Amino acid sequence: MISYWNWPKVLGVGIGILLLFFPKMLSETHINLSIEIFIFALYAVSFNLLWGYGGMLPFGHGALFGVGAYTAGLIFNHIPHMHLLLTLLMAALSGLVSAMVIGFFCVRLKGAYFALLSLAFQMFLFALAWKWRDVTRGDDGMGIVRPSLHLPGLGSISMMNINNLYYFTLIIIVLGILACYLFLRTPLGNSVVCMRENELRASFLGYRPFMTKFTVFSFSGIFAAIAGALFVLFTEFMGTNSIDINMSMAAIFMVLIGGAGHFLGPVLGAAFYTAFQDWISSLTKHWWLIMGIFFIVVILYLQGGLISLLQSERIRFWLGGQNKSANGKNTESRKPV
Amino acid sequence: MSPLIDIYLMQAIHGLTYGLLLFLVASGFTLVFGLMNVLNIAHAAFYMLGAYLAYTITLHMNNFWLSFLITPPAVGVLGVLIERGLLRKAHKSGHMAEFLLTFGLFFILCQLVIIQWGSVPLPVSGPALFSGKISLMGTSYPMYRLFMLGFSLAVLLVMVLVLVRTRIGMLIRAAVSDSDMVDALGTNVPFLFMVVFGAGAALAGLAGVIAAPFNSAYPSMGLDMLLDCFVIVVIGGFGSLWGALIASLMIGELQSFGVLWVPRFAIVFQFLLMAIVLIIRPSGLFGEKE
Repeated sequence: MISYWNWPKVLGVGIGILLLFFPKMLSETHINLSIEIFIFALYAVSFNLLWGYGGMLPFGHGALFGVGAYTAGLIFNHIPHMHLLLTLLMAALSGLVSAMVIGFFCVRLKGAYFALLSLAFQMFLFALAWKWRDVTRGDDGMGIVRPSLHLPGLGSISMMNINNLYYFTLIIIVLGILACYLFLRTPLGNSVVCMRENELRASFLGYRPFMTKFTVFSFSGIFAAIAGALFVLFTEFMGTNSIDINMSMAAIFMVLIGGAGHFLGPVLGAAFYTAFQDWISSLTKHWWLIMGIFFIVVILYLQGGLISLLQSERIRFWLGGQNKSANGKNTESRKPV
Repeated sequence: MSPLIDIYLMQAIHGLTYGLLLFLVASGFTLVFGLMNVLNIAHAAFYMLGAYLAYTITLHMNNFWLSFLITPPAVGVLGVLIERGLLRKAHKSGHMAEFLLTFGLFFILCQLVIIQWGSVPLPVSGPALFSGKISLMGTSYPMYRLFMLGFSLAVLLVMVLVLVRTRIGMLIRAAVSDSDMVDALGTNVPFLFMVVFGAGAALAGLAGVIAAPFNSAYPSMGLDMLLDCFVIVVIGGFGSLWGALIASLMIGELQSFGVLWVPRFAIVFQFLLMAIVLIIRPSGLFGEKE
């Protein structure tokens, strides 16, 4: 009998194996959908580092996604022979640098002030992307050609092949999410949770709130930017849709629906959000309405998000496991509200 | 007078008009924040709703003035229903839940507007009485804008009188500064919340009606107004009515002259201003220190 505390592992390994064989089993449309889910999963996880763990809700997280997207897009366009991994690294770096600049000013503030200052920075970057037409082509955007990935021993792997792109994205995303997970396990990651719970007390204990929040903000920027770069690689298009305010709003939607209270909540949220959008937009063009209603239902009746359904007593009962009390891991994040 | 000064004067009047319009929306936004500590994202949707209702009423009844009478109460009732039905439910889960709720509502209202009215901008014909132009200091100026200016000023005056001279206005101001204390002294604070939320929504709806003939009704007007409101409450200070007034006029003039001098990057200025205020003085011009 599967006991409560290892069924998530069994489920996780099962899904992991399933993910490896997806390209064999699914049609091309669904592979495309999976890639999109992966990208948004990393983006949502990076957002939840700030929100679920750090207790900071930014309105402008899309700025970092967009910076990564534009960096990658410009490199694909102007230096097409640059190594793909190096491009991702450059995008990550650009995300880090912009997150450091934005974070330097933002993390001193709290609540609505923090949210709105990050939004202000996003609006600058958006205006830049929109109006600096010589470089970004404004709202026309710019198509890009997916470069091939050159690996020693394997030769050149074409990204135009959807299966190759699938595995490439999967590997990068898994590494990225793993990095976020490991970051939270470090003492530094724990002190981020400390800041959320009681900043004053943490500072009496000798932690430095500014440095801690600044670090997590910068760290989160790296992964948002990588997600942005992969988004450009995937859509073969660099445009203002990667940096506009809807991108920031999407992060809030995904994390809230999935559940900010668990590390994998945002992944679930991204999967649900993307798949649901894909499905419902084939039925009706007013999918935002349905998503909005769903969002409100989650806020009012399911505050832990979808992931809390998996954690509920009911499922533990179904699976026949005994009730295990909180396991004392202090890296667990809390409910968002 | 030289033509250059004429243009400047013209832009200054434009800015004043737009600034007062902004204030009609931002005042409700800032009061709700001051009172309930909720950043009410849905507030901007009320403004949009006002403009669209004005379109429909003008179209069907052929009378712009009717929309003046019908729209604000209708939007106000909607605001009250939202406050009573949804916001109060989320209240026990904290401010974050309330804020996220208004965020979701904003998207729902925007989407409903697109479903009902489509996504093409809809021109609204203004009242015939003010359709012409008036010659003002050598140039012609649309009458309607002068009407907007005068009307907004009148609303502003009434609002200030209500807030400063009446008992309920006094209670609202007291609750903004310390709602727990007012509650403890025996005032029905949840009722105050409802009144302010509803009145704010009605005022936003009214602003939408006024703006409709001049801006026409378009689906992203809610988002545009929301961004302006953010900037205004930050600059003026969260919860401060006077701050909101000064900041609205500043933003109105800034946009007006920004378009004149640097049309490409006009949008950046207000966010630049907001960022500077947040960095140097996060409590805004008139806000209380944290």
